Amino acid sequence: MSELKVSNLRREFGDVVALEDMSFDVAEGEYFCLLGPSSSGKTTTLRAIAGLEELSNGRVEFGGKNVTTAPVQGRGMSMIFQTFALYPHMTVRANLAHPLIRDGQDSSTVKKRVEEVAELLRVTHTLNRKTTTLSGGEQQRVAIGRAIVRQPKLLLLDEPLTNLDAKLRHEMRAEFKRLHRELGMTMLYATPDQLEALTMGERVGVIQDGKVVAVGTPRDLYQMPEDLYVAQMVGSPPINFLETTASADNQVSLPFLPGPVAAQGVGSGQPVTLGLRPHDIELAQDGSSRSARFKAKIHLTEPLGDVTVIDVETQNATMKMVLREEVAARFSVGQDIEVAFDPSDLHVFDSNTGSRLGPGASQ
Amino acid sequence: MAEASSTQGGFGAWLLDPKRRGALLVAPALTILFVMNIFPLLWSFGLSFFNYKASSQRTPKFKGLDNYADVLTDEKVWERFQTTAVIVASSVLLQLIVGFLLALLFAKAFPLRRIVLMLVLTPMMLSFVSVGVFFKLFYEPTFGIVSYVLNFFTTEKFVMLATPAGAIAGIVIADAWMWSPFVMLLVLAGLVSVPKYLYEAAEIDRASKWRTFWTITFPYIKSLLLLAVLFRTIETFKLFDIVYIITEGGPGSSTETIAVYLYRTGFQFFKTSQSSALAYIVLFIVIVLTNLYLYAVNRREAEVS
Repeated sequence: MSELKVSNLRREFGDVVALEDMSFDVAEGEYFCLLGPSSSGKTTTLRAIAGLEELSNGRVEFGGKNVTTAPVQGRGMSMIFQTFALYPHMTVRANLAHPLIRDGQDSSTVKKRVEEVAELLRVTHTLNRKTTTLSGGEQQRVAIGRAIVRQPKLLLLDEPLTNLDAKLRHEMRAEFKRLHRELGMTMLYATPDQLEALTMGERVGVIQDGKVVAVGTPRDLYQMPEDLYVAQMVGSPPINFLETTASADNQVSLPFLPGPVAAQGVGSGQPVTLGLRPHDIELAQDGSSRSARFKAKIHLTEPLGDVTVIDVETQNATMKMVLREEVAARFSVGQDIEVAFDPSDLHVFDSNTGSRLGPGASQ
Repeated sequence: MAEASSTQGGFGAWLLDPKRRGALLVAPALTILFVMNIFPLLWSFGLSFFNYKASSQRTPKFKGLDNYADVLTDEKVWERFQTTAVIVASSVLLQLIVGFLLALLFAKAFPLRRIVLMLVLTPMMLSFVSVGVFFKLFYEPTFGIVSYVLNFFTTEKFVMLATPAGAIAGIVIADAWMWSPFVMLLVLAGLVSVPKYLYEAAEIDRASKWRTFWTITFPYIKSLLLLAVLFRTIETFKLFDIVYIITEGGPGSSTETIAVYLYRTGFQFFKTSQSSALAYIVLFIVIVLTNLYLYAVNRREAEVS
């Protein structure tokens, strides 16, 4: 059963269309990520679902009921804001207890529940402090605690990791997954970071200009991106694009390759964009299945510790590839290397429409 | 060149030398401040220890603290302090209520908000004298607007300022009319400083409107409210112009504030030394209040940063 059903949301701010036609479904207990660049409408979507945003059109169904115009308070959802939005004049304890006040439970029940949540999020030691004295990570945990303390059926998370430093982000990603597993609630997570979306989401909805343009598991989106936009949104380092024209039916040629390579679904003379993941390019080795070999010059190296991203330059094209650090250490900038890829790893897109051709194409 | 002109120019050039220019520019202000404020202040402080009468030719004699003792044991003085306290308390309370409600109104956007806001702020910018004259005319029994309106309901002639209570109410209303916008400005500053996301978080937390006000809005405006109370208390404590114009302290002495009494002692009864002593007692009270005010300001700053 679909727990949350969002259909055709539209929201305008003056002349700016924030949401054009936003539709997607989230199943009960699912961890769903909305992935999109900033100002693509993620926040507005979450706010609309929570009821904080007035819509010009569209429908929000939750738990089988139409809640499009229901008051915020009655929707049974919680939201974690990008700014955390903790109450600055209250202690952590009061912040955590705040959502429970409406239920009119006696104070010992509230106290017990608050302490349970504090325990779960490891903020027990901060309970009697003002929220303004907490570190970023602690504030984040309190914000999560406040959102889950009344056990909402749906948790909306609006870029909750954006204001944290890299190390904390990494920790919190694992934390969110743990919480999802332990609490079993439906989670809708908006983020501009493909890494967050791919590592946490069970399914990811990719947003472009106020619309969901693709929905799928992280694996699907990475391996079979539906179009150019999805291909470049998902994957790090970003996918390499090569513009060319099909030399014959189901064949493309690239200037730096000696002969044409197979590309399913293209017609002769069709302008196509080829996508090649940096991870699919390797050093050329004899006897390898990566049959498309070419020579290139190293243009730039970005060591990341365990791996190194290398920009290689060949005729008319610059491509990123990833090598293990100890392998990359053998090369230096300006050096010529021979690299190879498997033509079946190529993602083929129609240059005009941007949509995928060949295996996995939607048509 | 510059040296040549300075030797040639004599005194004028010497005076305009960049080294002295700053001092020269502040000199007029300092002179006026000294002649009009500091000297009279010190002189009157000295006078408060003598038995000087501005209307008599006798050489003043040193009386020590006798004037202070006289003033503090004078029953009249305590009565005037009580009158002042009643006016201060009711006026400040009224200003708080009206100012607060106005702030709540102007915190929301509505058509012509800016223009209406400007109009609401004008009383604050008028002079005390004109406000006093306005209200004196409003309360005028034969053609004043108050009695005119009341004539629709009753045939009895309404003389607002004839009873002590009515006179005090009249002054309180005039003062509150003038200064409620000031309280409104402070409260409004507090209201707009509340981050909008806190209200949204409260909505998500299913907090009632009432609770949202107390847990979110009030903490942001409470220090500003305190400032408003202190500032208005200090100002109203010194209230003179409006009272003097509307009632002249009457009927009887029922609206005679400490400031009016001070003026009478000094300039109608010419008890110059005693009035100086009383003035210094008032000054002391104002200094205490001002320090409370400054303490509140500092606390507010510490909170905001």
